[in-house]
Amino acid sequence: MEQAFLIDYFPIFVFIMIAIGISTMAIIASWIVGRQKPDDEKTSPYECGFEPFEDARGKFDVRFYLVAILFIIFDLEVAFLFPWAVSLGSIGLFGFWSMVVFLAVLTIGFIYEWKKGALEWE
Amino acid sequence: MIDLQTFNIIPVMPEIIMALMGMVLLIFAVSQGNKSYRIVSWYVVLTCITVGAILLRFPQGVSITFGGMFVTEPFAVFMKLLVLAGASLVLLMSITYMQREKIARFEYPILILFSTLGMMVMLSANDLISLYMGLELQSLPLYVLAAFNRDNLKSSEAGLKYFVLGALSSGLLLYGCSMVYGFAGTTNFIGLAEVFALEATPVAGVVVGLVFILVGLLFKISAVPFHMWSPDVYEGAPSSVTAFFAVVPKIAAIGLLIRVSMSAFGGIAEQWQQVLMLVAMGSMIVGSMAAIVQTNIKRLMAYSSIGHMGYALIGLTAASSAGVQGLLVYMMIYMFTTAGVFAIILLMVRKNMQVETIDDLAGLAQYKPLMALCMAVLMFSMAGIPPLAGFFGKLFVFQAAMAEGMYTLAIVGVLTSVIAAYYYLRIIKVMYFDSATEQLDNVEDSGSNFVMRASAFFAVVFITIAWPIVEAIHYAVDSLLFL
Amino acid sequence: MAEYEQLLNIGMAHYLTVSAILFVLGVFGIFLNKRNMIVILMSIELILLSVVINMVTFSSYLQDLTGQVFAMFILTVAAAEAAIGLAILITFFRNKGSIAVEDIRAMKG
Repeated sequence: MEQAFLIDYFPIFVFIMIAIGISTMAIIASWIVGRQKPDDEKTSPYECGFEPFEDARGKFDVRFYLVAILFIIFDLEVAFLFPWAVSLGSIGLFGFWSMVVFLAVLTIGFIYEWKKGALEWE
Repeated sequence: MIDLQTFNIIPVMPEIIMALMGMVLLIFAVSQGNKSYRIVSWYVVLTCITVGAILLRFPQGVSITFGGMFVTEPFAVFMKLLVLAGASLVLLMSITYMQREKIARFEYPILILFSTLGMMVMLSANDLISLYMGLELQSLPLYVLAAFNRDNLKSSEAGLKYFVLGALSSGLLLYGCSMVYGFAGTTNFIGLAEVFALEATPVAGVVVGLVFILVGLLFKISAVPFHMWSPDVYEGAPSSVTAFFAVVPKIAAIGLLIRVSMSAFGGIAEQWQQVLMLVAMGSMIVGSMAAIVQTNIKRLMAYSSIGHMGYALIGLTAASSAGVQGLLVYMMIYMFTTAGVFAIILLMVRKNMQVETIDDLAGLAQYKPLMALCMAVLMFSMAGIPPLAGFFGKLFVFQAAMAEGMYTLAIVGVLTSVIAAYYYLRIIKVMYFDSATEQLDNVEDSGSNFVMRASAFFAVVFITIAWPIVEAIHYAVDSLLFL
Repeated sequence: MAEYEQLLNIGMAHYLTVSAILFVLGVFGIFLNKRNMIVILMSIELILLSVVINMVTFSSYLQDLTGQVFAMFILTVAAAEAAIGLAILITFFRNKGSIAVEDIRAMKG
């Protein structure tokens, strides 16, 4: 019983073994072949020849957030389209028009954000 | 499969009209800009009135559509009428206020409209899925409304707090939904009622789920011990939004709580009765004790509304037809009187600045006798002094509790209303017996003035119109309980 | 060998345990976190996704599609909620200049 169960997972086991093997080999090889000269400067942030101006974990422009927010909403609403498309054959006209109504509502939201200027970068 | 020809669209007509109006107004307003604020507000009030008129003409009896997800019966119609009335009252009194505060953006009335639409869906929900969708459609605009004054630190902080705790409560509610679905095998309320009619003692998973759902809903009505968000949110949000929070979502959440507990989980009433009894007692005690030390009138109203939710829940704890009737009477009176108090809070302006401490009302009776009189009537009504409206609400719920033998609950209720009377009467004392240091301005705000007078008038004449209203509520509750 | 087989058979209880752990982690993340509001938003998301795991598990166990439909709705609403939360957080940041949880204290009582 468990024998058959384990055989199902044999490919993934081989895959993991190969992945571990190759990555270990790469790390060991670079450690053996490369020259080790630790230096503080090597770990410090690099900014084209001069001292860094500010912390690398600086603040993003708020406009990136805005784009991300708008993207999230429209991105996930599309999740409804996939089950709808797959089952379109069996849900009939009612199902078809329901999605059309849904998309119309989404479009109204889109018109709102467009008119509000949320899509303009400047 | 639902067929396009046989699909019954009539029961959802009010919601569809509301949603269409919301979208049309949104497109119209965004092309006009913020100068369309007043006209959009009036259109939203008009929409509420139209939809209310349609609801009044609704056919009697129970009709179910959307594959059992959506139900309308006189109970839902009655609750929706209350919600629509509350939303229009709040909009009426806030139109000028928002302009005074320079935050008159057209999104305000539209957000209120969509939130009201969510409440209507909640009140007609007959399935855990439609319950959740309605609840979220109600909550998401409310989060934005709390942070509506976006240049003000307090307002955005109120929005943030409300968002985090509201999202947490939705999460708890959802977890409860998933447990109930898993252990009862259905999400439909009628199906759930059938399941619980068969088995006398439910499995533990269902009880856990039920408690989680109750906690989520009790968060929304800010009952103790889930009340910590409400004083801060009430203080920080713009006053007209606070009025909306205090009045409208509570009615919708109470309506939903009634439907979930009485119709879906009616068969296992003893499981939720104990929870609600504790919550009712806690709310009454905290509401009356914590309000005494408040100096900000909006915070005071927050604690006052926590206390009122405690009294209202007494009616539901009784789990009887009389109890639910008392609860509906209570909510109706609570809605109209609270709207009036907030109209007065909106009128508290000195040197063109909103003021909100209780001492700002000092000596009001000497220079604004009408406003002071209205406030006094509303405060007496909230304290439950006969023959004003608030007395009847308390009377009905206490009667229902006594009829079910819940004497402790009724006694705690009477004691805490005596304590609560202290801070209501203190406001009257400040208005009538303290001397005015500086007077409040005369504000040109016909909306707030109208709501203030209408609400005080309602509190006085309720005794004469009580019987037809109680009859209507009796009819509405019957339609729910014998589904 | 019997215990070994038991370990390999992943049943409903395992899924429910995972989702319960995620749910508790989310709730604690909201209350115990003192530094960053973004972590609270992530905790809220964690709570909602633990419910999604629950729903899908029950749906598969009951051979009933309702749970999966519910899961779809939860996913989309969670996205809208996250968007609104982020937007409110940005207005707060503009006013306060910080998103530390201990800075949210303009009102007390």
